[in-house]
Amino acid sequence: MLEADLTVIGGGPGGYTCAIRAGQLGLKTVIVEADRIGGECLNYGCIPSKSLITVAKLFDRVREAEKFGLKASGLTVDFAQMQKWKSEVVSKLVSGVEMLLKGNRVTIIMGTAEVVGANRVLVRKADGQEEISTKNLVIATGTETVQLPGLEFDGDTVIGSREGLDLTSAPKRLMIVGGGAIGLEFASMFQKLGSAVTIVEVMDQLMPGSDPEVVRVVQRKFEGRGVRIHLKSKVSKVSKGASGVNVEVETPDGTVAVEVDKVLVSVGRKPRTGRMNLQAIGVETDQRGFIATDDRMQTSARWVYAIGDVRGPPLLAHKASKEGLVAAECVAGLPSAADWKAIPDAVFCDPEVASAGLTEAKAVQAGYSVKRTRFQFAALGRALSSGEGEGFVKVVSKADDGLVLGVQIVGPDASNLISEAALAIEMGATVEDIALTIHPHPTLSEAIMEASESAAGKPIHQLRI
Amino acid sequence: MVFEFKLPDIGEGVAEGEILKWMAKEGDQIKEDQPLVEVMTDKVNVQIPAPRSGKVSKIMVKAGDIAKVGQTIMVIDDGSSGAAALTTPQVPQSSARPTPAQQEQPTQASPGALATPATRRLARELGVDISTVRGSGPQGRVTDDDLRRAVAAPRVVPSAPVQAHVPAALGAREEVIPLRGMRKIIAEKMVKSKQTAAQVTHVDEADMTELVLLREAFKGSAEKRGVRLTYLPFVIKALVPALKEFPYVNSSLDEQAGNIVLKKYYNIGVATDTEQGLVVPVVKDVDTKDVFELAGEIEKLAERARSGQLALDEVRGSTFTITNVGAIGGLFATPIINLPEVAILGLHKITKRPVVRDGRVEVRDITYLSLSFDHRVLDGAYAARFTSKVIETLQDTKKLLAEVI
Repeated sequence: MLEADLTVIGGGPGGYTCAIRAGQLGLKTVIVEADRIGGECLNYGCIPSKSLITVAKLFDRVREAEKFGLKASGLTVDFAQMQKWKSEVVSKLVSGVEMLLKGNRVTIIMGTAEVVGANRVLVRKADGQEEISTKNLVIATGTETVQLPGLEFDGDTVIGSREGLDLTSAPKRLMIVGGGAIGLEFASMFQKLGSAVTIVEVMDQLMPGSDPEVVRVVQRKFEGRGVRIHLKSKVSKVSKGASGVNVEVETPDGTVAVEVDKVLVSVGRKPRTGRMNLQAIGVETDQRGFIATDDRMQTSARWVYAIGDVRGPPLLAHKASKEGLVAAECVAGLPSAADWKAIPDAVFCDPEVASAGLTEAKAVQAGYSVKRTRFQFAALGRALSSGEGEGFVKVVSKADDGLVLGVQIVGPDASNLISEAALAIEMGATVEDIALTIHPHPTLSEAIMEASESAAGKPIHQLRI
Repeated sequence: MVFEFKLPDIGEGVAEGEILKWMAKEGDQIKEDQPLVEVMTDKVNVQIPAPRSGKVSKIMVKAGDIAKVGQTIMVIDDGSSGAAALTTPQVPQSSARPTPAQQEQPTQASPGALATPATRRLARELGVDISTVRGSGPQGRVTDDDLRRAVAAPRVVPSAPVQAHVPAALGAREEVIPLRGMRKIIAEKMVKSKQTAAQVTHVDEADMTELVLLREAFKGSAEKRGVRLTYLPFVIKALVPALKEFPYVNSSLDEQAGNIVLKKYYNIGVATDTEQGLVVPVVKDVDTKDVFELAGEIEKLAERARSGQLALDEVRGSTFTITNVGAIGGLFATPIINLPEVAILGLHKITKRPVVRDGRVEVRDITYLSLSFDHRVLDGAYAARFTSKVIETLQDTKKLLAEVI
């Protein structure tokens, strides 16, 4: 039997980060992975999708570059080569993570882990099984795709995000069920690669919960590119026809029949805890099955910790990683805890969307007297000179003392720009602090400074209203 | 406008209190100064009046729960409009990955205190509840210095002249050594122990004459096994029956959960002097080992401690600690408890002393034992009985023999 101070089940961005820190802290650490080190993020999510999105965006920009004086002809997408490159990116990162684990003396076991009792984990491997006696356990098993009744994946015409990233051609007509982050990223990507895209979302706006002003920019651009969007709608019937899949969509204006070649379903994810025997070991969950923990990631069973998606939304790789660090440090006896004020998020559709901290609505709801200011990329030198003048930066601050409560960005490179906002919130910065910080010219980051200058009552590049 | 009713500073040194009774429920109209809540602190029960008139929108801490000073215990809507005063922001809800039910996040920190991430971490390291610290920075932000001041707070301000103006010539006669590394950790741990535990030291004497003979008798076989036999393993063995009979001595206080945790295993920390400072390696499961095994383990751990090679596992998990200064000298001491344990035993020099036995003066081998204990968990009588039990076992070689092997 293998003896360990800490066993981490799940090698995703939460689990592997946790294991590396635990190794650094001198804990005898084992990580168990059932599929591939790197988990959903590296293998089937963030990384492969961003690889494909990059290609789609480049393809799109070159085709549209005639107005900049750039002429290209005969431009085509070689799907096989694109997929090959994507896989190379993934493999490179996965082997990098494996190297880091080994370099920190973490034992990697490939197999399916089952918690068989207090401090006991059984791993079924391809070549037999192994039992681990472990002082502490971190559950980092993540989530799996939710399938809708009547819309079950068939691997061909009705598919999920994993299959969507492995397609060998762009479907002529693609329906995306679920207008959240994943759905919108796929919609943008395949629209650029040549698909006619229809989005079906059950709520009354895309990206439910996001700032409506931000969503409006996204929706306008999508519709301008010919993407059909059905809000407050759901798929009621799917049947195979001679020339494709016939989908009936219940919309507020009645039932609409749409014929497509593929339906990609991205309606959410559920915790993957089947083999953890949570009840038997005394680990409590919420009504949705996510594992409940304190801010040290410790569950109701003191020897068991949970991090990442399995602990509940937001389901984000970077949240999982930070939680992994907290869990490892707590197991090692350090006074660590999750005390961050903002978990930024980024959606890589076109235009990109990113947010940190409170939206205007949430800030008002929380009782703040709020000041909101915006700066349009259309007024920013670097945005225009990049040919990307859509969108804005919105800063939500406290009216009395200017404390930055939240920042939302829609537009070019929003995903990279948002970190400044996250830092500002964590540091307790005011709009004045951001406004007084010199931002290099000409860059997109100036938009955050300009919006902050407005909030501080000292705008330069927009007129005071 | 909403008003956050925070548990006020009730008095000297009170950091928290149990909410005994609310005299209004959610939705009730209340008048300023009407009795609103009854709070029990460690010393007294106090009734706190309503800070202003309005409607109770939410009771944040229900009866029976503990609230910290500065914590919001009720939200009152005073009916006026204007800038709201809520200071604890709700957690931002992220929109990046919609899930079937995208509702509130399960356990998300929403610290009210304005401080940088590094300062928030320092607060945890110092064991300070940052929400109770008054910040000196802009908008009341808490700085590292504020935290350090909070840790040292109960200290009396010295009336002696401040040393700020040291003449330049004197500079050379002093050396400034930054408080870093081990020294800093020790400093912080000791202060934390002194400030959290209610420490009392009980001193008694033990007649070691028979034990001295017993050790002499065992020395030969110890040498054969290649170990140096000191008194320490015998004392550790003598502790076991006492810890079993007085289980609260082998416990810890989980303040956050409000529990006393009795340990059913016996891991003894041995305070060890090293060049870098004090280290406390842990001898595990001492009830299952004989004196020779203990002697061997102690020797190995001490060596590893001195060469700085101890693994994390070797310095964690102790349930009771011994500090032995017998080899250096001194009569007795007031050792500081090794948190979260509740007691520590000081061993001292064994000296020949005249004592009265059956009405006659005899020369015996006498030592003092100093037991510092946490009065929050143990009472004086209990601690004294525990010490007597240890002494009884040490003095009775027959009993001790049953334990040591």
